[in-house]
Amino acid sequence: MGSLYRSEPVALCQLFLQSEASYSCLSELGELGMVQLKDLNVTVSAFQRKFVTEVRRCEEMERKLRFLEKEIREDDIVILDTGDNPEAPAPREMTDLELMFERLVKEVRDLNTSAEALKQNFLDLTQLKHILRKTHSFFDEVDRHYDSALIDLQAEGTESVNLLADDSLLVTPHTIRFEFVAGVVERQHLSAFERMLWRISMGNVLIKQVDIETPLEDPITGNSVLKSVFLIFFQGEQLKAKVKKVCAGFHATIYPCPETKAQRREMAMGVMTRIEDLNTVITQTEVHRFALLSSIAESIRIWSIKVRKIKTIYHAMNWFNIDITQKCLIGECWCPVAQLERIQRALQRGAAKSGCSESAAILNRMDTREQPPTYHSTNKFTSAFQGIVDSYGVASYREVNPALFTIISFPFLFSLMFGDAGHGFFMFLAGLLMVIFENRLIRMRITVDVWDIFFGGRYVILLMGLFSIYAGFMYNDFFSKPLNIFGSSWSTDLKNMTVDGRYASLSPINNTNGVPYFAGIDPVWQMSSNKITFLNSFKMKISIIFGVTQMFFGVILSFQNHRYFNERINIYCEFIPEMIFLFCIFGYLVILIFYKWLAYDASEASCAPSLLIGLINMFLMQYDTKEDGCPPLFKGQQAVQTCLLVLCILCVPWLLLVKPLVKHYERKRGLTYGAARSGYVLMRNGDIELQASHSTLSIQSGDVLLQDQQRDEVVHHVDGDDEECLSNASEETEVRMPCNANTILV
Amino acid sequence: MNSLNFNIDNGYLEGLVRGFKGGILKQTDYLNLIQCETLEDLKLHLQSTDYGNFLANEASPLQVSVIDDKLKEKLVIEFQHMRNQSVTPLATFLDYITYSYMIDNIVLLITGTLHQRAISELIPKCHPLGSFEQMEALHIASTPAELYNAVLVDTPLASYFIDCISEQDLDELNIEIIRNALYKAYLEDFYKFCQTLGDSTGAYMSDALAFEADRRAFIITINSFGTELPKDDRAKLYPRCGKLFPDGLAALARADDYEQVRAVAEYYSEYRVLFEESSNNPGEKTLEDKFFEYEVMLMKKAFLDQFHFGIFYAYVKLKEQESRNIIWIAECVAQRHRAKIDSYIPIF
Repeated sequence: MGSLYRSEPVALCQLFLQSEASYSCLSELGELGMVQLKDLNVTVSAFQRKFVTEVRRCEEMERKLRFLEKEIREDDIVILDTGDNPEAPAPREMTDLELMFERLVKEVRDLNTSAEALKQNFLDLTQLKHILRKTHSFFDEVDRHYDSALIDLQAEGTESVNLLADDSLLVTPHTIRFEFVAGVVERQHLSAFERMLWRISMGNVLIKQVDIETPLEDPITGNSVLKSVFLIFFQGEQLKAKVKKVCAGFHATIYPCPETKAQRREMAMGVMTRIEDLNTVITQTEVHRFALLSSIAESIRIWSIKVRKIKTIYHAMNWFNIDITQKCLIGECWCPVAQLERIQRALQRGAAKSGCSESAAILNRMDTREQPPTYHSTNKFTSAFQGIVDSYGVASYREVNPALFTIISFPFLFSLMFGDAGHGFFMFLAGLLMVIFENRLIRMRITVDVWDIFFGGRYVILLMGLFSIYAGFMYNDFFSKPLNIFGSSWSTDLKNMTVDGRYASLSPINNTNGVPYFAGIDPVWQMSSNKITFLNSFKMKISIIFGVTQMFFGVILSFQNHRYFNERINIYCEFIPEMIFLFCIFGYLVILIFYKWLAYDASEASCAPSLLIGLINMFLMQYDTKEDGCPPLFKGQQAVQTCLLVLCILCVPWLLLVKPLVKHYERKRGLTYGAARSGYVLMRNGDIELQASHSTLSIQSGDVLLQDQQRDEVVHHVDGDDEECLSNASEETEVRMPCNANTILV
Repeated sequence: MNSLNFNIDNGYLEGLVRGFKGGILKQTDYLNLIQCETLEDLKLHLQSTDYGNFLANEASPLQVSVIDDKLKEKLVIEFQHMRNQSVTPLATFLDYITYSYMIDNIVLLITGTLHQRAISELIPKCHPLGSFEQMEALHIASTPAELYNAVLVDTPLASYFIDCISEQDLDELNIEIIRNALYKAYLEDFYKFCQTLGDSTGAYMSDALAFEADRRAFIITINSFGTELPKDDRAKLYPRCGKLFPDGLAALARADDYEQVRAVAEYYSEYRVLFEESSNNPGEKTLEDKFFEYEVMLMKKAFLDQFHFGIFYAYVKLKEQESRNIIWIAECVAQRHRAKIDSYIPIF
């Protein structure tokens, strides 16, 4: 394994795969996961590539699997996930898979259609049941009033009911005949339905409606819908036709409803028995469906993985060039040099699997001037830290990888802010538990996003907890309470104390035993009233020291890069001025902090100067004539500070201008070469245009792309100067920003 | 409503619609689409665009009508989302956009009923943006008066329909007249509504609707040649909110043939170009296509300005044009008739 300090050396390789062996070789490479293939057919649109039919077949299979998965989810069946990672099946198995999926989908579809028909039947019957039940009460009422009239009507055998509660009509029950339609309509359409009926009949219909309380299930969508039973009374054939049309328009289901009580009862009985019969059939279908879907659910995960692997392999094969004889696929890939052996072996395995000789797959290292991709080989411990760094930006190829240092610096800086041993202990414990039960937790396969974040960063949490214990110990903070482990060096000797109201003032001269607390902060500070003032001053100084150290460290790492890539000019025009700039302000500040800590003790505390004011005055070049009678920090302070400031200001143009100017002159000197080169590019462009006008559209679009690339190159060339300036300016800001942040901290 | 507090109510939706607009197919996408050999290729390519997997769950072989439905469905989902998120006046504005689809649906249903088609066969052909509750009961009406009294009175289109009640029965010519009369009333009402909104919405929409009105006036005139529509009836169908109003419309009302229409357009610089560049010869663009092209140009302009509702209208129109383009290409691919495959109208 390579080191984490720089990204692994990566080589561009050419892959020659015999067509028969290519599938299994790529499968092996995919399992290995150490190769980054290059798309050699960028200019070919997706559907014109060689293996597009296979990719499409996989998509079709995925569609079927999605359908099955949707059905399984609808029935709330748990999909078995064993965590197995099956290898990509051989290409000939693809047909088997296809046939199997086809059969399963068909089976499920058949079941669905029959279930749908059954459910539709069931719905019809339930609605009829409701109609009979609801209209029952209504007709009963009528019956009580107009028994005699009904008997007459029955005798005639017509489909009519007299219902107007008007006494005059009682006398002549036969003069007006009312027909009726009974049915069920969705409740949300009811008001519009009524309104329209009223309108088409000019108000000559009577509508009675009762809500069905229990929601009914729609057989097609499976949603539950609220419906209402309605009864429409009207007169005349024409109106009947219209009413029926409206009913159809609103998807209302109309049911025949007998008018006599006895007939209705008989019908209701019939409906009830049919519903019961149907129920048993529906349960049977559901059991069958459940059994089928459960058996699918057991292996659907594996199938999905297999199909996806096949698809990925063919997708990768689409990136290969095919040689003229059609016998060989030629591709290009990046692979880490250290892994070349393993890749070779994987290729041989693949070739062997497909029954070809070992020479069927050849890996050929090539020279290239392209910038290879960055590859860091990480393990489970370092990957989380690498992830943190990568989220800010990925280092270029072979650049120093900050992740290595982050392993310590990130938890440490975290602990400086967290700073409580007790809470840190819990954090450490949580991290430790996750690390100890790592394998078991992986197997549990918890799919909650937040958990993924925590579990992915378990080693980070572990280290953060560990460092927090240390920082908490140094801050003497244990669940926000101090621990007096080594015995405080402060004493409450009442003789030497001034007591002011509730507070007793301890003087650092009289009330200490002169021996500092062994490690960390004296516990007495936690209960003092000026705890915040003291700790803030201390912690801020600590923060500045660590912050500035980190910045120096970063600049030194950039020096490592400049040296590694042999960029002299960067050392002189970036590294050195940056170092001087940093040192003149913040390096000096850090020195002052230590100096102040060492040079002043309690007896001369009143004369200790404020470093913040000192730093501001350094920039303003203000040096007080001694008003308070205190000497300056050290002799010659003014001269030193002025000198540092001048150096600092000098660094700004040095950083900003020197490198772009040097590059500019270099380019001018090399102009002849550059001109020749861009001329060559121009000629090529002309060439391509000529070609394009002769060839088909597809080639044209491809070449346009190529042209664009070349144009980019030219543009890049011309814009070099500006870009250089910009990059330098951004470099400058990069250095200045943390400086500003530090100033704010001060 | 001005730029100061536009974003309080409509900022999210404006951002959203601008995002949607970014997904409109580009010229390069079309170049790829027209190279497709089969509808499967088309699907594959559309997958790499903003349409994503909208066809992924469709079984092959793919039908053009399925693509059409899915395109509509996608637009409707986007539109409904915006409609649900919006408050007045934007909500009203979006409703106005759907009215034109409602008119089309009504006319489609009446025509279908006239030809004795079953209503269940007609409903799927209606544009889902313009569907309304009473739509499926439309076939009970046999006269315009009945249509109004029974069905349309509850819809927002009721006020547009009042002028048409006088028509005696529903035959083909009358339906066309109803359609155009409805459209006329609708455009004028929409125009008036946009004017009340004022600011850049009013300014932009008056351009857009003026064009729509003028296009209708031209097309009504051209299509009326050789029918028994009397000239003064024709004049009544012209929407009076365009640039042609009043002189151009008066001249159009007198026109007897295509040349005279063309002569009217001569006076208007933007339309003159369209008439000049169009012809009925094969291989050249028809007047209809030129109108579409001009519309696309006009709609694209909406996105240059901020803080106005015009972009919602423009987005729906551009999306509609895009659907037309995709369907055209899909039809050409499906019928293996590639000669005219590139007479789509590119948008960006």
